[in-house]
Amino acid sequence: MRIEPLLRPDARALRVEVDHLAVTVPEGTTVLRAAEVAGVSVPSLCSHKELTPFGGCRLCTVEIEGVRGYPLACSTLAQDGMEVTTDTVALREMHAEILRLILSEHPSSCLLCDEADDCRRSLTTIRKAGVSTGCRSCPNDGACELQRLVERLGITEIGYPIAYRGLEAEHDDPFFDRDYNLCILCGRCVRMCHEVRGASVLAFKYRGPRTLIGPAFGASHVAAGCEFCGACVSVCPTGALSDKVSKWDGRPDGIETSTCPFCCLGCRVELAHRDGALSSVGAAHDAEVNDGQLCVRGRFCAPEATHHHSRARQPLVRKGAYFRVASWDEALDETAGKLSGIAADDILMLVSGDLANEGLYAAQRFARGFPGGAGLDSTARARLPGGPAFWSRMFALPISIKALGEAEIVIVAGLDTRFSFSVAGVQVRRAVRRGAKLIVVDARESNLARVADQWLRPRPGDEARALVGLVRTLGDGEPGPDGSEPTPSGEPAEAAGRPGGEANEMARGAATTAVVIGPRVFDCRGAEELPFELEALGARRAVSILPLAHGANVRGALELGVLGEVLPGPRLAVGRGPGLAQLRAGRLPKVLYLVGEAPFATQPACDVVIAQDLYLPPFEVDTFLPAASFAEAEGTLTNIEGRVQDMCRVEHLSPGTAHGLARPDWQIFSDLAARLGRSDLRYADAAAVRAAIRIDVPGFAAELDRSPRRMTPIAPDASSTAAGLESDDAGRGPSVRPQEGLAGHGRFILISEQASFRHRGIDLADVVEGLGELHLEEGLAMNPDDLARLGVEEGGTVTVTLDGGDLVCAVRSDSECPRGAAFLARDELWEWSTHPVRVRIRAGDRSPAGASRPPATRDRRLAGWRGGG
Amino acid sequence: MGARTLERRRHRAAARWAAFTAGPRPLVYVGMGSCGLAAGAGEVLAGVQAHIAARRLDVETASVGCIGPCYLEPLLDVRLPGRPRLSYANMTAELAVATLDALLAGELPRRHLVGRFALDDGWDGGAVPADDDLPAAFAAVPRLADHAMLAHQVRIVLRNCGIIDPEEVDHYLARGGYRAFEACLGTPWRDVVDTVKLSGLRGRGGAGFPTWVKWLVCREAGSGPRNLICNADEGDPGAFMNRSLIEGDPHAVLEGMLIAAYAIGASHGYVYIRAEYPLAIRRLRSAIGAARKLGLLGECVLGSDFSFDVTLKEGAGAFVCGEETALIASIEGRRGMPRTRPPFPAVSGLWGRPTIINNVETLATLPAVMARGADWYAAHGTERSKGTKTFALVGKVRRGGLIEVPFGTTLRSVIYDIGGGPTKDFRAVQTGGPSGGCLSEEFLDTPIEYETLAAAGSIMGSGGLIVLDRDTCIVDTARYFLRFTQAESCGKCVPCRVGTGHLVGILDAICSGRAELADLERLERLARVIKASSLCGLGQTAPNPVLSALKYFRDEFVEHIVDRRCRAAVCRDLVIYRVVPGRCTGCQRCVQVCPTGAITGPRAEAHNLDVDKCIKCRACYEVCRFDAIAGDAIVIESRGQRAD
Repeated sequence: MRIEPLLRPDARALRVEVDHLAVTVPEGTTVLRAAEVAGVSVPSLCSHKELTPFGGCRLCTVEIEGVRGYPLACSTLAQDGMEVTTDTVALREMHAEILRLILSEHPSSCLLCDEADDCRRSLTTIRKAGVSTGCRSCPNDGACELQRLVERLGITEIGYPIAYRGLEAEHDDPFFDRDYNLCILCGRCVRMCHEVRGASVLAFKYRGPRTLIGPAFGASHVAAGCEFCGACVSVCPTGALSDKVSKWDGRPDGIETSTCPFCCLGCRVELAHRDGALSSVGAAHDAEVNDGQLCVRGRFCAPEATHHHSRARQPLVRKGAYFRVASWDEALDETAGKLSGIAADDILMLVSGDLANEGLYAAQRFARGFPGGAGLDSTARARLPGGPAFWSRMFALPISIKALGEAEIVIVAGLDTRFSFSVAGVQVRRAVRRGAKLIVVDARESNLARVADQWLRPRPGDEARALVGLVRTLGDGEPGPDGSEPTPSGEPAEAAGRPGGEANEMARGAATTAVVIGPRVFDCRGAEELPFELEALGARRAVSILPLAHGANVRGALELGVLGEVLPGPRLAVGRGPGLAQLRAGRLPKVLYLVGEAPFATQPACDVVIAQDLYLPPFEVDTFLPAASFAEAEGTLTNIEGRVQDMCRVEHLSPGTAHGLARPDWQIFSDLAARLGRSDLRYADAAAVRAAIRIDVPGFAAELDRSPRRMTPIAPDASSTAAGLESDDAGRGPSVRPQEGLAGHGRFILISEQASFRHRGIDLADVVEGLGELHLEEGLAMNPDDLARLGVEEGGTVTVTLDGGDLVCAVRSDSECPRGAAFLARDELWEWSTHPVRVRIRAGDRSPAGASRPPATRDRRLAGWRGGG
Repeated sequence: MGARTLERRRHRAAARWAAFTAGPRPLVYVGMGSCGLAAGAGEVLAGVQAHIAARRLDVETASVGCIGPCYLEPLLDVRLPGRPRLSYANMTAELAVATLDALLAGELPRRHLVGRFALDDGWDGGAVPADDDLPAAFAAVPRLADHAMLAHQVRIVLRNCGIIDPEEVDHYLARGGYRAFEACLGTPWRDVVDTVKLSGLRGRGGAGFPTWVKWLVCREAGSGPRNLICNADEGDPGAFMNRSLIEGDPHAVLEGMLIAAYAIGASHGYVYIRAEYPLAIRRLRSAIGAARKLGLLGECVLGSDFSFDVTLKEGAGAFVCGEETALIASIEGRRGMPRTRPPFPAVSGLWGRPTIINNVETLATLPAVMARGADWYAAHGTERSKGTKTFALVGKVRRGGLIEVPFGTTLRSVIYDIGGGPTKDFRAVQTGGPSGGCLSEEFLDTPIEYETLAAAGSIMGSGGLIVLDRDTCIVDTARYFLRFTQAESCGKCVPCRVGTGHLVGILDAICSGRAELADLERLERLARVIKASSLCGLGQTAPNPVLSALKYFRDEFVEHIVDRRCRAAVCRDLVIYRVVPGRCTGCQRCVQVCPTGAITGPRAEAHNLDVDKCIKCRACYEVCRFDAIAGDAIVIESRGQRAD
């Protein structure tokens, strides 16, 4: 058990005696903590170190000298000179009696079965006969706190009639199962959901002996707004809550601390593994990044993502009409053969922004090592609208997730943290609970808008301008750092909804301000001003900024130079190879090398396509090199704050065709380079790659250093070069930010958001069953009123006319959408029009005959488009 | 509105009160409390009004609260000009009309007449003609104040109940209302606390904690805003003191809140009242409206720098919400679930602010205490428990209703003198509701005090007094209360949620003859664990009915277990029904009511009762009418008894 630093300098020290053991604890410590410090264990089921005292299980009663009755250790504060006794006959009897009461409403065959001993013995038998496999009535068997306590208190019989609640186990919601017959009503899940997560989905229902846990009014977890963060599952002391994927895995062989590979926050996780395979993921509790919390992806998606049957785990090569399994040697030889002798100009490497740092660095080194330099670009570019210079400025700002929770003013723009970036949402709500003012800038309703003090609702697509306007007014009225006059307020963006004097008033006086910017905002016009405004604000008051981009290692991708025009450092490159824009324009290279991601629905018309990935691309390739997933190789990820955090290998499956032939990306590049006769990528292990990175990237620690870093902006002369890059970038970026007005015609504004549930180019909803059940990003999301006006039902078909082309797609009713707007999740290679854009939306399929409906593939979002003209 | 305007209003109030008590027109008062309404007062009033309208009579009608003797409801009072107010009991619409007509015709109907108001009972503000000025017929009518149920009472809290129209603030003002608060406004808060301290007023919610101590703790806890809560979440089965009080005299509660708020420096008050009390809520709401109009609530009360306003919060009917911390949670919009103390609400309560929660009765006592002084109040009651206490006297008692007696009155006096004694042989008296206990005959001469009741194993509670006679089974009663607490447990802590369930289980076994003597030990052991380890008062006191019953009526438990006998013939599994051949006249009444056809037999011959068909519904026993002549022809016998 972790013991927190006890003595803060400002706290008064108290001397407390627990069972005649003297300890010194700071003021405000509970007797339970004091006992823990003294090394005395007091039985307790409802207390939890992250939660406020509850006093429900009544097991931690103690005797305190001079206090009447039996006070609770968990909710009594220690006082100087207190003498606590935890072990008397009366207490022991009371604890045993209460535990018996708990057991009388908890199935206890696992504890008190007469055959338990024999059963355990026969489990290890070597007889060649049918043997008992032991009862598996509870998923938490062996890891149950109730079991441990029964053992400790030596309860062997209950003495009361057993009252089984006879409730049906609840399997309807995704990710975790609930069997409230096993629930002891300790209320940890309820408090976790309310106090720590701020979601308040779970509550106590009914009263007396019928008391139950669940969302109010019998709503499903999905409908009640559950984030599926699994925090309740993690604190449940029994098997009442258990995650669907790993519940029957049994006790893990070990738990390793690692980093979540799904988004840029880089939460620290604990990977439980059993029999050499990842079993389940929990939050690491002492991590500064996520402070013991996770989101649905981190908590529940990892095992399925890495074990999904669609993963290809062996090298494959095309031989004529055959596409067959090959040995690594054969596959590498084949690949090297395809790459040698080709002019560097004809090669394009497309690297995923989800790769580990080692893979990213080796990839760019591999590409640039071709004579003349092969073409190189990353799909991370699509995740970083505005280009490298813009983002290097963003990353130069003080970025901190933890600081959100301590800010006095929090501004959140264009973000819903229910399923994405939940950990940031937790911090925002923590700040709100501590009394911070929350201002939300969002055209769309969000989980944070619902708790905001002020919700500025600009026109869809104008979030950036509204935010810029708000940040600018925040700077007003305060003297600059050198005592200069306040800057004159810029014209308040007409788009800023009602900038509302109230919000400004609220935001003005405070000291520490946090600004959280969702990925959608960076697509909006006016976003290019953000870094400058935020820098100006930072010069005037204490700020922490959290710019959010999709992709696990986009900051690493920028820093390690996998974007064509950027070298590791990041520095600007001199000559640039062909990039993503080229692909969009239809100019395909002869050799396309896809690393970690295959952003095409159909086969690109190249001579050679090489894929190095976790999952087989949905089209034919010439060679496939199976890359190791986050659980299968050691590596590091750089999070949005610049922390370089390690991922740990927990998958130790025996090498073989079924599993375990995957290799880390850096190793594949290293092997290929060797076969191409190059000696510049000779790395013994991941640490060697990191040592090489350190030479190119200033500040990148040689040894593991998880502290946040600020990036040096790419161009020292920001005003000219960044703008230059910006305009240069305009032709190749995934979205062109319109400067004035909206392009297109029609009554609706189409907002194409970056798809958020992507990992290595695949849609997680396709490989994780629970995410699929949530139907989060399918189809076009529109306000129910708009649907009614169009005469379309939920799930019906509409035709969206844009750029002269038609998209036929299904609609989803979403009351969070503002009226007159439609939201669509877009892919990396979204190439239509500007953003946001006016469109015509009509009911039904109005496209000219022959337009195909979006098939239910991972590229369903794009497949329905017919090009303009 | 300033104090001066209020003074002017008092003149108008006095005139209106005079018209109400001694006006020139005949006036009919109907007791329209919940007890009256349940008994049919609504129909009585409607009938009278229809009659007045049809005959174009020059008669006014008025609604008043309950004066206490609920067993007499519906009560109809009639006052003719120059005559005293006469009370008629157990009215129906027809009876009321006939009585009214007779009175108007100059007669004095004696049927249903209970008594008259008199000059010296202090109820009519001296507007009643003196006895000497009355015609002999009227003077001969006994005074209502001398009625057996009222004679032994001292009415301080209930001073206005049944006398005034609760929806008329003028009536309250005319009887000195809000004067006590006005006087407080001119004095330092400490004087108010001192007066309450000297008066010896203790919390009437049940625990009897000295009110002034709590106030002082709150007053001295920080300097921020404080809250006052009036706890009107009366939930004990059989208790209705607070409901009647609010229904009969809502302004007294408001004035009490003003005094308390002034003393503790609260700026906002809440009345947490059960939604099951719609009439009380309506009356209180109208009283709050009237008080606001008079400038007694709101910013700068009566032009002073003291501001106070009241919010009504309707509770959804959870018994546990009477517990202070659960009540606060409920007002805050959370689940009504108690939390561990400390911090006590007086230090950190509603919205984290120092909060005082006082019972309705405590608050309604304050105006009298402040108006007439601490010494006057302290002169009532005993050394340790001063003043008076209201009780809901119910159960197997001849005269049930709401009463108020000084502390120190014996249980015997309450049950026999006021209540007229039990309907059949006295068995026990249950005080304190589900948190209290059953006291046996030996405690009848115990003076009622917080300490004596606690020492006897029961509690004062909020004032439920349930009389049990020989037809009540003690085990069944204990089981009833435990089932109540079990169902009303919030479910938070284990001993209360699970433990009470097992207590009920054991009692079920005893009542159905499945128990063994060892179960009594288990019952006691578990009850003690629950008492010692539960989180809040609900759980800590839940075993009291069982423990006190075991203490004083252990023989009945043993009888149930060993003899399989229930002497009150209540526990169904332990009794059988039998026809006594010698007494049965064969009248066939029982044959007609038997739902299962268990009783058969030709007319004029002793009937036959088929035990296998009998479902023990008790219907035959109730209709058998020959007990007056030859004892019950149908008897209920214990199985154990028959085996002898």
